[in-house]
Amino acid sequence: MNTFKALIKREYWENQGSMFYSPVIMALFFAGITILLAITGDSLVIENGHHSGFWEHLPRALDQFENLNEQDRSRGVQIGLYASSAVFVLVMLIISFFYCLSSLYDERKDRSILFWKSLPISDTTTVLSKVVSVCILVPLCYFVVIGAFQLFLLVFSTIVAWFGGNSGMSIWGSSNLFGVLFNTLFSLITVSLWLAPVWGWLMLASSYAKKVAFLWGVLPVLMVTIAEGWIFRSSYFIEMVAERFAKAGLILGSNIGQLVSENEMDGLSIMWYEAYGTSAFWIGLMVAAGFIAASIYVRRSRDEA
Amino acid sequence: MTTLIQAKNLSKSYGTHQALKSVDFSVERGRIVGLVGPNGAGKTTVLKAILGLTSYEGELKVLGLDPNRQRHEIMQKVSFIADVAVLPRWLKVSNALEFVTEVHPNFNLERAKHFLAKTNIPMSAKVKELSKGMVAQLHLALVMSIEAELLVLDEPTLGLDILYRKEFYNQLLAEFFDEGRSILVTTHQIEEIENLLTDLIFIRDGKIVLNDSMDKVSENYIEVMVSKDDAEKAEALNPVMQRDVFGRKVYLFEGVSREELEPLGELHSPSVADLFVAKMKEGK
Repeated sequence: MNTFKALIKREYWENQGSMFYSPVIMALFFAGITILLAITGDSLVIENGHHSGFWEHLPRALDQFENLNEQDRSRGVQIGLYASSAVFVLVMLIISFFYCLSSLYDERKDRSILFWKSLPISDTTTVLSKVVSVCILVPLCYFVVIGAFQLFLLVFSTIVAWFGGNSGMSIWGSSNLFGVLFNTLFSLITVSLWLAPVWGWLMLASSYAKKVAFLWGVLPVLMVTIAEGWIFRSSYFIEMVAERFAKAGLILGSNIGQLVSENEMDGLSIMWYEAYGTSAFWIGLMVAAGFIAASIYVRRSRDEA
Repeated sequence: MTTLIQAKNLSKSYGTHQALKSVDFSVERGRIVGLVGPNGAGKTTVLKAILGLTSYEGELKVLGLDPNRQRHEIMQKVSFIADVAVLPRWLKVSNALEFVTEVHPNFNLERAKHFLAKTNIPMSAKVKELSKGMVAQLHLALVMSIEAELLVLDEPTLGLDILYRKEFYNQLLAEFFDEGRSILVTTHQIEEIENLLTDLIFIRDGKIVLNDSMDKVSENYIEVMVSKDDAEKAEALNPVMQRDVFGRKVYLFEGVSREELEPLGELHSPSVADLFVAKMKEGK
């Protein structure tokens, strides 16, 4: 008997499509495009009727790559790998948003809550399993796919390099692969934890909404913003919300940011491990805890299901 | 412990509407209790209170525990089917078994597999691919494989066709029920369960209007078919209800002795449905 593990599996079964198949399909699509571009590289007409001459230029490009100094080469490869994850991360945040909105709403809509509640599982355990799902399980699923896609890019570049008469070894040597994978995984999890107050709020809306959970999630934010503007002629609330999202973007972008330039990004870069040193991160978690406690209370005490 | 459910002064209000008005009842071990009442009488509220799904006033103990605060301990020994259509549509049959095995300390997986093997339900199917009857079979298989002391059924056969309805109760009796357990059931199809019940509770407008064992009920309530000539004699004994059948009159008596009634005509026990109608009309 392992209730929590079973609940996490339950979340995965229900949301397999958005958690796993969506990124897999995206990865396959991008991989397909990459391969297709390489194969048809020579026949692509770029400008004024000139062919791009991909294969023709390849040996020269590889030579240039080999002639770069170690540091620049490594930067180039790592930036390429990190950049490839950008679209996946965006999709991950969108599906997390909708996952939270439906997490405590769908079960009431289809009345399956009566089945879940017929089992000896407390509301606290159930709601916490959904929090862990969005903060850990979703990033983990996306990481697996992103990691596989990054590996594919390396393997594919190596094969292309072979055609250009290069062993491709320096691509791997410059990739800092384990570092990239490590940073990718932890920036995904960190960003989800950073956004925990947003997830908590959406789950509360989801537990409370009688209809259209989306409106319960979004309208109060707009209303507070408008009310604040009306009464105090200020906009602190929406700036706070916007800052939360903006900094989430910074945490995600900093893997690349610090490779591009360590000095110019000062103050604008938050590496994932730096986030844990900010008070904003911990305050966010406390706010999230408040919303989650309220969601548990609402799930337990409402009875019209 | 022989009393599984004990309710005293159980009340519940929704705003100004009083759904339950200080209700007392108990359910003993080894009984099959039918909770019967018209829509909105408070049946579902009673069940929800027992299952810890709603707040209430008054005293209520289920297996000696408080449903409001100890819900999840109660659910280890109590199982319920609220309605056949509550299994989530995305759930795979095999996953449902896996899940319940992992979260329920009293679930017997082998038993569930044994029940499912007797149906046409494929392990790999999702609930949404099953017919309504199959979903009911699946739900029943899951619930019957839980070693529960109390099973609560709220309109369990609603929307099922007659074949499944019969089988549902037959299986419940044959495979689940024994003297160590109790079943509390509400349904609109009383005639389907009246032969199973050991106890009967009628509820009307949030109050209990009848609460007796079936034996007591058939002692207390007697139906007599009377020819037109004896109608006056029969009416002198204050029948609770009368109806006309093929030119004769059928009277229902409460608490009138057999000796007094025998001269009037043929005696028999009323069906629960007739009794229900009589009780619901009483005093109106």
